[in-house]
Amino acid sequence: MESHILPPGSTVKRWLLTTNHKDVGILYLVTSLYFLVVGGALALLFRLQLAGPNLNVLSPSAFNQAVTVHGLIMVLFVISPLAFALANYIVPLQIGARDLAFPRLNALSYWLYLFGGVLVVISFFQQRTLDVGWTLYQPLSSAFSPYVGVNTGGLGLALLVASVTVSTVNFVVTIFRSRAKGLRLTALPMFTMCILLTVLMMLYAFPALLAGIIILASDRILGTVYFSSPEGGAILWDHIFWFFGHPEVYIVLFPALGVIADVLVTFSRRPLFARRIIIAAMVIVAGLSFLVWGHHMFLTGMHPDVRRAFTVTTIAISLPFDAIILSFIYTLVKSRIELKTPMLFALGSIAIFIIGGITGVFLGSIALDYVLRGTYFVVAHFHYTMAGGGLVGLVAGVYYWYPKMTGKMFNEKLGRLQFILTIIGFNMLYFPLFLSWEMPRRVPIYPENLIPLQQVATVGGFILGASFLVMFWNLLYSLKYGQPAGDNPWGAYTLEWMTKSPPPPHNFDGTPAFINGQLSFIAANGAAHGEPETHLSVWPFMLSLASFLSLLGLTTNLLFTLVGLGLLAFSVLGLAGERFISREEKIGERWPFESVDRMKLAWWTFIASEVMLFGVVLSAYVYVRTTSATWPAPGTFFDIAHGAVNTFILLTSSLTVVLALASARIGSRAGTAGFLAATLALGVAFLFNKYNEWSELFGHGITFSTNLPASTFFLTTGIHGAHVFAGLLAITYLLSRALRGAYAREGHETLEYFGYYWHFVDIVWVFIFPLFYLV
Amino acid sequence: MHKLIGMVATTVDIFNNLWSVFSTLGVIVGIVVISYMVYLIVRNRARGGAPEPEDSPKPGELPRERKGAKKLLLSVFLSASIVISLILLTFIALDNLDRPPADAMEVKVVAFQWGWKFYYPNGYEAVGELRIPRGTAVKFYVTSQDVFHNMGIIDLRFKIDAIPGKTNIGWTRVYQAGVYEIRCFELCGDGHGVMIGRLIAMEPEEFNSWYSSLQAS
Ligand code: HEM
Ligand SMILES: [Cu+2]
Repeated sequence: MESHILPPGSTVKRWLLTTNHKDVGILYLVTSLYFLVVGGALALLFRLQLAGPNLNVLSPSAFNQAVTVHGLIMVLFVISPLAFALANYIVPLQIGARDLAFPRLNALSYWLYLFGGVLVVISFFQQRTLDVGWTLYQPLSSAFSPYVGVNTGGLGLALLVASVTVSTVNFVVTIFRSRAKGLRLTALPMFTMCILLTVLMMLYAFPALLAGIIILASDRILGTVYFSSPEGGAILWDHIFWFFGHPEVYIVLFPALGVIADVLVTFSRRPLFARRIIIAAMVIVAGLSFLVWGHHMFLTGMHPDVRRAFTVTTIAISLPFDAIILSFIYTLVKSRIELKTPMLFALGSIAIFIIGGITGVFLGSIALDYVLRGTYFVVAHFHYTMAGGGLVGLVAGVYYWYPKMTGKMFNEKLGRLQFILTIIGFNMLYFPLFLSWEMPRRVPIYPENLIPLQQVATVGGFILGASFLVMFWNLLYSLKYGQPAGDNPWGAYTLEWMTKSPPPPHNFDGTPAFINGQLSFIAANGAAHGEPETHLSVWPFMLSLASFLSLLGLTTNLLFTLVGLGLLAFSVLGLAGERFISREEKIGERWPFESVDRMKLAWWTFIASEVMLFGVVLSAYVYVRTTSATWPAPGTFFDIAHGAVNTFILLTSSLTVVLALASARIGSRAGTAGFLAATLALGVAFLFNKYNEWSELFGHGITFSTNLPASTFFLTTGIHGAHVFAGLLAITYLLSRALRGAYAREGHETLEYFGYYWHFVDIVWVFIFPLFYLV
Repeated sequence: MHKLIGMVATTVDIFNNLWSVFSTLGVIVGIVVISYMVYLIVRNRARGGAPEPEDSPKPGELPRERKGAKKLLLSVFLSASIVISLILLTFIALDNLDRPPADAMEVKVVAFQWGWKFYYPNGYEAVGELRIPRGTAVKFYVTSQDVFHNMGIIDLRFKIDAIPGKTNIGWTRVYQAGVYEIRCFELCGDGHGVMIGRLIAMEPEEFNSWYSSLQAS
């Protein structure tokens, strides 16, 4: 079996091994719709509980579990993955690329996502799963929630974050480096533009979630006391979670805005109104989204000036949204509107989102939020924005691109039927929740006067659920019986429509380029020659399975972890040693990274996310230090000498890495291997010294749970140590190849990329040393 | 604007005034924008042989620019002025909320899984039920002994977070004698839904005799 030919779609092999972006897109699509059913079923379950004021459908604990997992699944496992299903399939087509920059990493993202979801599902069968609200408030979800299921669910989230990080890197590199010639950044189709802004937000937001999950897991499993001590506790989590959480709400929204913009243009037959202003507004929103998290904390007793500042940023962020939505509406002026199913959903989504946006301004007014916080008003607001703006907008995208993905046209009548059911069900479900604004959220019982509102909502919930069944039926039925769609059934102008439906594995015959603003296909110069590209690899699946087993073992049987780690090592080596060909087109638009090749850009992007991770971990430390009344003086708790020696060791190792690279560049095999060996030795020395330091502390009875100084020290240096350890594994691999003569002849870039990582880890230590030992 | 006839403002007045402004404007803006959109859709719906607009994007083009900056900036300016005046109103209301009346009776509240403890100025401790004289403002010092809770008395439009290790201050004032429900508004575990306390506003004389009987005992 040759790995550049895709096996037929009816084989298991194809779907397990594929790395082609269109296949991965389909996998994402099917999986996210599956999780939509899971999340939806949970929702209907608690809507049944709420069908009467005092029913006993669910126990209070089951109710909390259903609400919590519903929220997490919908936000993290449905909306974003659905968006990335479309992005996987469409973005490379829209920019004229042959695939994503790193096809195997793309498959890896998918499998990590799937296995993360599997962990969350497994957690249901371990006494109790997460039952603490999707916001995981502290200390409820640390010290006051002893259940294993919560750990498993949390580790599932960790896998999801890993998946997101990998795909973030991939999409950043792809969109910056693989655009067709003449496709400037500002001329990107709106969907791709929105995906770019989404992944940039993800790049900075998700490491905060990861840091939060790591700290939480460490509190729960190792016994550190970040969240159980009052100095850290509830407020520290609020800051970390919402620093992630607010950008996250735009992360789920932006792809839908992109779909809507593209659909509007296609079905109104007019250019987007004030397109450049929309883009500018989106850039502003993406940036500001990191400065508004405090509006989720208005009642925590924050300083009045801080509160005012967050009000101002919150209101400020609503204005660019205004501009975006109004431009969408103005686009319809003097247009010629065809109300096909995708257009209906796009317009419906805008109308619903308007209501969500207006009520957001209510919540941004602190004096109103004092009363509305924690009530059904908030629930209604975020469903109008996330479910209405986000999910309904993405449904428009599913219909819009369905003919491209399958080559078949869906049934228009069924599409309209779904639209009507969706709009009716949605508003019946969520509008009464605005009117229930006196009722606390996440509560299984309510006063009698709310019976009519809550019952209408429950009925609406079932109608909304039914509308999705109509969609599933339509998608499946049309796959078999739909009319052939043709290449460009909507008469759209963007590049994805300029190839066959469905497109061939390499997307376009010839290399697309925009010359003087007009598309032409120039003779394929790079692709025609040389070996064909690879489209199959087993390692993404194996790596994800290995990670899954390693994490599963932590909460079930450590045997799994052992097997998992073994498999992990095996798969990493397999991945590294595999011959996998994926080529970049020779010509293309790459501003501003013309001179940064794709590996380098990928490393930079990854390290940017690592900077955020350590930024949050160190901020958490600074936070608990400033809130703690007392803190041991330097030198009394931690031995400065240990820290100083380690600083010296690590800095020296940065130098040896540079020398290894220099030797490789001049072709010195011995020098390369020698300096790599020196780096390895220094790294080992660092960890050995660290080991001594920790055992001395343990010897004095100082452990993870002694107090905050100990907790923060062990966790921060522990995370850093884990990075050093990962680096040493990489050096071992590099060294083994260098001894056989690699890098000195060619491929010394690999050493350069490793160098970035290693220097970064050293720089982090340069922050840790003074912060923990000296001040 | 927060003064009712002869009475000092309550948290209810502050909220209701603001709420009526927001909800009126919100409903108007919502209806205007959505109706305008529906109008455009109905008006521009393609019928029969309606001609393509001249500038309709053609397959294989780069995106066309369509002017409109002026119109857009004008619209945003309009909505900005609405939103900004709403926020100014908010800040005025906030000043009142942040400044507890000087004559307030001070009560310490400790939330726990799943109920409320109240400590009166004289040291008396009650669980689940707080009695106060009507007409007098009450200033709450709220904290929690276990997890994150939120103390809300929705009929009084009053709400504040109860956070372990932290004491938050809020106030309210009741004019109407009666019983008001105190509920938890932050998910706090299995008993979250039944974490209900009572605030009993009594006639001042009744309260005084009850309160002094406590001191006597
Ligand atoms: C027009 C601008 C918006 C403003 C001014 C705004 C304002 C707010 C405020 C102040 C809150 C906190 C309410 C509270 O918990 O007391 C909130 C909650 C929330 N908003 Fe928005 N919002 C806006 C748009 C959006 C959008 C576009 C989304 C998502 C697509 C969104 C999703 C959410 C979510 C998920 C929550 C609640 C999270 C939770 O507590 O579970 N909002 N919003
Ligand atoms: Cu927010």
